[in-house]
Amino acid sequence: MSGKNSMTVDEKMSTVKIKIDKEAHITVNKELCKNCTDRPCLIICAAENYKWDEKSDDLVFNYEGCLECGACRLICPLNAISWSYPKHGCGVKFRFG
Amino acid sequence: MEKTTCIVVGAGPAGSACALSLSRKGIDTILLERGRTPGEKNVSSFVLFMTELKRLIPEWEEDLPVERNVVRTDQAIFTGNDIKMITSYNYDKIDDPITFTAFRRRFDAWFAKKAKDAGAELITGMTVTDLIKDKGRVIGVRVGDEELYADVVVGADGYYSSVGEKAGLITEWDPARCTLGVKEVLDLPPEVINERFQVSDGLGCEMGLWHYNYGKLSFGGTTLYTNTDSVSLGIFARVGELKEKNVKLHDELDKLKQHPFIHNFIEGSTLREYQAHIISHGGRIKPENLYGDGVLLCGEAGGLMDTASGMGVPTCMTSGLMAAETIDLAVKKNDFSAGTLKNYLKFLDTTSMLDMVHESKRYSDSLVGNNAGRANYMADIADSYNNYWNADYMSKDYHPLFLNLYLKAGKFFVPSLIRWIVTPIVKGFSLYKKTVEKIKRKIRSRFYEWKKQYDS
Amino acid sequence: MDKTTCIVVGAGPAGSACALSLARKGIDTVLLERGRTPGEKKVSSFVLLMTELRRLIPDWEKDLPVERNIIRTDQAIFNGTDIKMITSYNYDKLKNPVYFSAFRRKFDEWFAKKAKEAGAELITGMTVTDLIMDNGRVVGVKIDDEELYADIVVGADGYHTKVGEKAGLVTEWDPARARLAVKEVLDLPPEVINERFQLSDGQGCDMGIIPYHFGELSIRSSTLYTNKDSISLAVFAHLGELKEKNIKLHDELEKFKEHPFIHKFIKGATLREYQAHIIPHGGRVNPENLYGDGVLLCGEAGGTTDTASGMGVPTCMTAGLMAAETIALAVKKKDFSADTLKNYLKFLDSTSILDMIYESKKTSDYWVDKGKLERPDCMAAIADSYNQYWNADYMSKDYHPLFLNLYLRVGKFFAPKLIRMIVTPILKGYSFYEKTVEKIKRKIRRRFYEWKKQYDN
Repeated sequence: MSGKNSMTVDEKMSTVKIKIDKEAHITVNKELCKNCTDRPCLIICAAENYKWDEKSDDLVFNYEGCLECGACRLICPLNAISWSYPKHGCGVKFRFG
Repeated sequence: MEKTTCIVVGAGPAGSACALSLSRKGIDTILLERGRTPGEKNVSSFVLFMTELKRLIPEWEEDLPVERNVVRTDQAIFTGNDIKMITSYNYDKIDDPITFTAFRRRFDAWFAKKAKDAGAELITGMTVTDLIKDKGRVIGVRVGDEELYADVVVGADGYYSSVGEKAGLITEWDPARCTLGVKEVLDLPPEVINERFQVSDGLGCEMGLWHYNYGKLSFGGTTLYTNTDSVSLGIFARVGELKEKNVKLHDELDKLKQHPFIHNFIEGSTLREYQAHIISHGGRIKPENLYGDGVLLCGEAGGLMDTASGMGVPTCMTSGLMAAETIDLAVKKNDFSAGTLKNYLKFLDTTSMLDMVHESKRYSDSLVGNNAGRANYMADIADSYNNYWNADYMSKDYHPLFLNLYLKAGKFFVPSLIRWIVTPIVKGFSLYKKTVEKIKRKIRSRFYEWKKQYDS
Repeated sequence: MDKTTCIVVGAGPAGSACALSLARKGIDTVLLERGRTPGEKKVSSFVLLMTELRRLIPDWEKDLPVERNIIRTDQAIFNGTDIKMITSYNYDKLKNPVYFSAFRRKFDEWFAKKAKEAGAELITGMTVTDLIMDNGRVVGVKIDDEELYADIVVGADGYHTKVGEKAGLVTEWDPARARLAVKEVLDLPPEVINERFQLSDGQGCDMGIIPYHFGELSIRSSTLYTNKDSISLAVFAHLGELKEKNIKLHDELEKFKEHPFIHKFIKGATLREYQAHIIPHGGRVNPENLYGDGVLLCGEAGGTTDTASGMGVPTCMTAGLMAAETIALAVKKKDFSADTLKNYLKFLDSTSILDMIYESKKTSDYWVDKGKLERPDCMAAIADSYNQYWNADYMSKDYHPLFLNLYLRVGKFFAPKLIRMIVTPILKGYSFYEKTVEKIKRKIRRRFYEWKKQYDN
């Protein structure tokens, strides 16, 4: 077994081709997040697009790096995440799916 | 006002199969795809299953974009230190291929082109945002500000089906009834793949691993299969359990890659592409919600996945073909109401789809209840055959091979077998065939009972 | 006149185990071996099972000469173009090895040395040519002109046992009840072995392959396993069938090596050694013939190999240990007659060896009578149900979901036996299962004792 550490998610994401949409296909009602205790979106996203900024005590998310699995929408306990398919052919382009 | 007979939303295996079949029947069809090319939004633990495709496109050999012809498949039970695997090599599939590995980007584009060649109008980069309705009846779709009218709209737009949602057919997306997949495509030289998977150039291996109580998850799956010069490694877990246990699936994938069994296969590879996707459990949508006035659902939008075997592409394709049959009937009747489109269920029932949905739902129920009976069963068979692990000839309790097999594996069969087989055994073993027929009929009647509630 | 308490003929696993155990009990023992070093006459499809050895020699880790720690085993049914394989990986055996691949030359020598260190006198290069008899009682052995006397002689001298033959215990060598093995040890770099068998350094794989409807032979088997920097590939076939069909087994081996499944594993390998050996079926010698006045048979000489699983070394070793127990009893009683030595069967029956002989005989009977195995069909049905691509067709109404498929296809193999064994308790409720297993065991033991009874009086 190799002890060599695996790649970070950021490094992994560098292999994914994405055509960025000007219009966000994910919007979050961040007010609700402040009262959220579980915050499962932080763990479910394989691209780690959701992060909690301790300084501003606020949810930071990045719709541009989305792999479009939509798990965040399913898992949000407060229905704070509104998620839809990106339009105009934008978003992720898997070459080897 | 633009109007056509049928709009198929989503150019995946279900949508393209439906559009292809409709066009061949001479029905005007528009096939809408949100990606710039079909397939670029899709991730499969993808083995392309040829049985139906061969019948549908007999000249497939000309240009079907495939990676390797799968002549070896493995099913493994994976519990960390202990792995049991059943392997099947079928060398006669070299001349008569039944499964290929392939990339969705290439396959979906190829398949959509076949629909286009048959006469369907393929429009890509179009994300359906809403349906146009008239008195509860679906009469078209909206793509941003544009409107497109049709007699019937087929929702083949995946798990988050906009068509299903806006038509009111899909109302919930239960995290317990779906699986998240995180996958990596890892570059490896073909000759290394050949050595490690014991295959030759052009021949492939597909491995399904079922995890039981490995890592933090009680149940999960892994797939590992060979492309021409890369291997695809995907891990799957139920979203419900990930949430409950606060587990990052991509961390689990990294851990899995360190496990000696997996590590030996992928050592020295480099990441080509990182992917994530969601897969629904079969039976997610009730049969009564697969159709409505002017609308049909097929593929993942209709939850037409085989959960027990993990197959999706062939089942979705089958449902697309049956949707086309239904529309053909509706065109002939010139009636696109739910009353006519209900025949979709009858058409599905001429195939094994409805049985599959029923079985998948039951399987999904048992997964949600964390029932891992199958793992033990397979492990016991493997342990009986590979009986070194517990051989101790000095012990009086050590059983010879066959007795061991009967005692260890047999108990899993007993409850079902007794119920099914005891009668003909009593009447004589020659009745076996008849009993199988009887069992089938019984299962079908159980299934029809379940179905009846949707028929009236 | 040289006289000792016990002469053990043959320093293989059975003989050395017996001599080691006797020496530890303080019984004077001479261990005779026809090879210049123990093991040089031996060929095994050899995987060393540690269960008993570990108890016998707790400090084995110091110097046991092994090749690879087997953490992967496969059983494959081989049908030409169609291969089904059941694989087991046991990574926890990395810390707690259960078995190793090894070479007999090195292992037998090591094991005989352990017997020697315990006090047995090991003499190599000595081929026993005859027994010395006194009133039908064995009193010693002849090595050409030399004579060596003992209270008891243990025949652990393999399939062609001189001791068994001269004592009149082994009278026939039935070609239908023996298998010929032809084996090649093929050099391959360790890293290539690791890649092909999916292992790391020091980890090994043992593959049992049963060709079925392949080539001209109806029954045969094959084994493929990893050594450090070589792999061993062997084919086995019934002597009777080879004779009947006029087949050269070494030709079959060559054909086998060209099959893509085997070829992928051995590609680029060079031959290190070519070997041949004969393996008896279990149950070859009737239990009443395992002992006589002043003589005991163990190991292959007594046919104590497990035909169904193909294991020999651990069963032979166990038989050797039980022979030693019997002799210890005889020494205490100062009586080496057949009457006392009959206790050998009781000692064997405190282990699973007699059951094993009985089951092996049944398996062997089945092979000889039917000329085929039932096992492959069952295993193929299991594999086909799991790896169900091969017959999946969702457009067909008759396509069965996974589990139904499994019950229908596999269940029929289990049904007849299971019904007989389990139907009653099932009717009374599933909770009776454990009790039933006990009942079945008792029933099987009764059947076995009936069979055994004829040899008891």
